[in-house]
Amino acid sequence: MTIEVLNPTYDEAAGDFTAAARVGELDGLTIGIVSNGKHGTVPFFDAFADELRRRSRVAEVVRVIKPNYSAPAGDEILDDARRWHALVAGIGD
Amino acid sequence: MTGPMPFGRTDHVVAPSLPHSNRLSFDDGVALQEHFHAQGWTDGLPIVPPTTDAVAACLDWAALPADHLIGVEPVRGRAITAEKVAINSVMAGCLPSHFPVVVTAVTAMLAEPFLLHGATASTGGCGVLVVVNGPIRHEIGMSSGFNAVGPSDRASTCIGRAVRLVLGNLLEVRPGEIDRSTLGHPGKISFCIAEDEEQTPWASLAAERIGDPYVSAVTVMAAMGPRQLMNEWTTEPAEILDTFVAEIKANMRHYSIWAGNYAVVIPPQLRAHFDTAGWSKADVREYVFEHARIRRGEWAGVGKRSAVGEKGEHTYAALTEPDDLLVIAAGGPAGGFGAVIPPWLGTTSRAITVPVGACIDC
Repeated sequence: MTIEVLNPTYDEAAGDFTAAARVGELDGLTIGIVSNGKHGTVPFFDAFADELRRRSRVAEVVRVIKPNYSAPAGDEILDDARRWHALVAGIGD
Repeated sequence: MTGPMPFGRTDHVVAPSLPHSNRLSFDDGVALQEHFHAQGWTDGLPIVPPTTDAVAACLDWAALPADHLIGVEPVRGRAITAEKVAINSVMAGCLPSHFPVVVTAVTAMLAEPFLLHGATASTGGCGVLVVVNGPIRHEIGMSSGFNAVGPSDRASTCIGRAVRLVLGNLLEVRPGEIDRSTLGHPGKISFCIAEDEEQTPWASLAAERIGDPYVSAVTVMAAMGPRQLMNEWTTEPAEILDTFVAEIKANMRHYSIWAGNYAVVIPPQLRAHFDTAGWSKADVREYVFEHARIRRGEWAGVGKRSAVGEKGEHTYAALTEPDDLLVIAAGGPAGGFGAVIPPWLGTTSRAITVPVGACIDC
């Protein structure tokens, strides 16, 4: 006997993700680093920022920390990000 | 549709047909079960086949159209419809009469302060504690007695399981996908308690949180596993609560120091001492608020010396205010036991209480 049932999953197909445009050379650019605020991000992003400055002549490295590491970045951070040429976001535990 | 809709069977409302979800056909029940397992659509246990008739019965009972919008998950923007919640409720073993409770729990979880995405994605590994109050407990055969925090009855087990299947199938909260729990806990399979409102003079959890003693309501909390305690050697409420406080302080030392919603489950044998002494739930909350505090320096004694820093003498409270404590009357008649259910992560996620039949975002 054939059994017919309904699909239990969310119907909408996952949208295609398009990678952000690459910035190429970093010289003269403002790079933002958004941390989730966990302790492990501090030494990691410190080292990452140092590498950015060592390998290229970035104009500025901006460091911001989300107020809640379990929630998305708020409007304030997203507004700030509009003046950056590139953004690196990461988590750390 | 997003307007408030009263739950409860009526002969005047007929849920429309189910035009949305894809239909899947199988030669037999074994093939069906294996397909659902293979797709990751179950929690590892067999499911009840979500046939169109079974799903329609749930929607009909709650008088909800299939496309009724239960809510939108705030972070990922997922629209959660009644039809999909009904499908997963059927799979969990829910009867149609259980469905309004599941809908209410999902509604509550979608409230922004619950932070559903963070709570279900975290390595912390919390589950969703569902506490049911009001007349609906009896209508659907929920038990508040023996094994109250575990699998106490059909409705509690299936409702809690439905919540987990909704998370898995509608938001991909599955191990290794959105669910990044390092360990998790058994309550993530099902974690549903009906409060004992009859064998106590205390106001119910829902009555205290929403101010209506007669309405059925559901409270959800992003919760770690229950920590059981025992104190049968005193009749003094303060001494009994000292044991609960000690368990909370242990959690603050061993797991998380941050204040948030803690739940305490107090069975009849211990409640009798509070009743005799005239202690209300408010008295319980106030006592725990005042006493459940540790110094950060206590971390040094449990292997966390490196995290004490310069704040060793700084005192941390388990609750930001007395009302953070959810006091739940439940449990079998004998035994001086109790349980502390800690929050996932401080105030990052807040417990939410929603009346059955209400829409909080419309």
